[in-house]
Amino acid sequence: MFAISKREFLRLMKGIKSIIIIAILLITAYFSAKFSSLLLTLDEFTASEADIIHTAGFLVLLLFFGQLFVMGLSHDVMNREMHDRTIRFLVTRTSRLSIVLGKFLGVSLFWFTCVAVSFLIVFFFSHSFDWLSFLQLMSLLIFQIALTILLSVLIPKPGFTMFLGVIVGLASPILGFWLTLTNNPWVSWLKFATPYYYLEEDYTFPIILVLAAVLLAVAHLVFQRREC
Amino acid sequence: MNIINTKQLFKKYGSVPVVKGIDLTVKKGEIFGFLGRNGAGKSTFINMLTGIIHPSAGSFSLFGMTGPTDEVKRRIGVMPDYSSFESSLTAMGYLRFLSELSGNKASKEKCLSVLKKVGLEGEAHKKTGKFSFGMKKKLGIAQAIIHDPELIFLDEPTSGMDAESVIQIHQLIRELNSEGKTVFMTSHNLDEVEKLCTRIAIMKDGQIAKIGSMDELRSYYQSTILVKIKHGEIPTSEVNQLTEWLLQSGEGLEMKEKHVIISVNHEKRIAEMIRAFNQCKVDIYRVEVEEASLEEIFLDEQTGHSIRKVM
Repeated sequence: MFAISKREFLRLMKGIKSIIIIAILLITAYFSAKFSSLLLTLDEFTASEADIIHTAGFLVLLLFFGQLFVMGLSHDVMNREMHDRTIRFLVTRTSRLSIVLGKFLGVSLFWFTCVAVSFLIVFFFSHSFDWLSFLQLMSLLIFQIALTILLSVLIPKPGFTMFLGVIVGLASPILGFWLTLTNNPWVSWLKFATPYYYLEEDYTFPIILVLAAVLLAVAHLVFQRREC
Repeated sequence: MNIINTKQLFKKYGSVPVVKGIDLTVKKGEIFGFLGRNGAGKSTFINMLTGIIHPSAGSFSLFGMTGPTDEVKRRIGVMPDYSSFESSLTAMGYLRFLSELSGNKASKEKCLSVLKKVGLEGEAHKKTGKFSFGMKKKLGIAQAIIHDPELIFLDEPTSGMDAESVIQIHQLIRELNSEGKTVFMTSHNLDEVEKLCTRIAIMKDGQIAKIGSMDELRSYYQSTILVKIKHGEIPTSEVNQLTEWLLQSGEGLEMKEKHVIISVNHEKRIAEMIRAFNQCKVDIYRVEVEEASLEEIFLDEQTGHSIRKVM
């Protein structure tokens, strides 16, 4: 499992798409932190809002485009191996559960590194580390990674998941926030199934991890039955 | 000790059965050859045993353990029929990664030694994306043996390789077998299977049509042995007697000038014929024996058109 996660992490780190996304994240973190004090002078913020103003730009970027970034980088994390049949070298050596978990850990470690470095850049300017935002953001990304892995297991063609990745990446935050805020009784119950509902300051974010675990369990069940 | 044991192993894709209930045992230390036409179900059978695909029905055990468990996977090496590698990794990187996945990360020295065995010395640091088809095949074999497995599955190991490489891989398979490893291989190269394998199964339409050693297969098909004898002068008084004895030993007798060609159904008959020549005081200069090749047996099984067969 750890061999797979290490390979996945290194592959993501070396990819040109990853380097571009890392650059976008770090530049956003740097400039949003640097000019956050300017933002404070433009509008009135509550004390708690002012506390996280340094991370605001970075948080908005990942809240709205996190799923797109994750899917952009990892939409083919499973189906590329199945399509190229390199998965055969893995399934004949280790359990399918180890493969799913290894991939999940590798991608998660990549995003943990990116987010942690970005928060450290913010820390350099704000001199405070916003643990709640960090944990909430990581929980959200973990959910998005699990969803990406599930789609990659469900859909065998990498070309299709790339296309679907853009749709899901753009639609999921819009849909998620709408479900969270809507009063429509027919659909509002669906908010409990979206991670965005648990991003309040009430420490309910661990539920996002439970949702991610459910997605991973489904991915494993599907992959377990899949012919490689 | 049986290393592979299958019971009514069955696989169908949709409503099309590909493997139709195979019962098979392979003993430790064998080189077992699996023969059959394209689409006969050879690769499907290997893929089921190695966990790549799931059987539709039936069961199997490897090392006495049901199904490809994690422990079984550590003890087997698999070269699938289609060897495709992640193009960004070097041969060395791939071997180290896959051996680590098998629970025992190979040292650089070990990787170099295995690459040398398969004829990829000097290619260790080349990215697999730049490998030719034959080189990928060799790397496929290398990754199957890098973790010292006890049972090695090789699906058409030498297809697409040049003659020199084929000889090298044959030597490697014999070497692995002499180290006590069991080899289960498929091949379209009948000559290769005949030379290497201690037992052979011929698959036809998803079932094992015949199984056994080469000698057993020959006896199944009652194949004849063609004997050509170059001899000296036959005394005129002995011609009839010798002809009678030869006809008792075999059939299709042809006697040309100082040459006898005859088909026999058992090697004991060759000894009888030589005795007959001696009793008739006829010198024998040369005896040539031609047995049915696996190719002939295979063709006979697949098409029913025998090249040589006892009538």
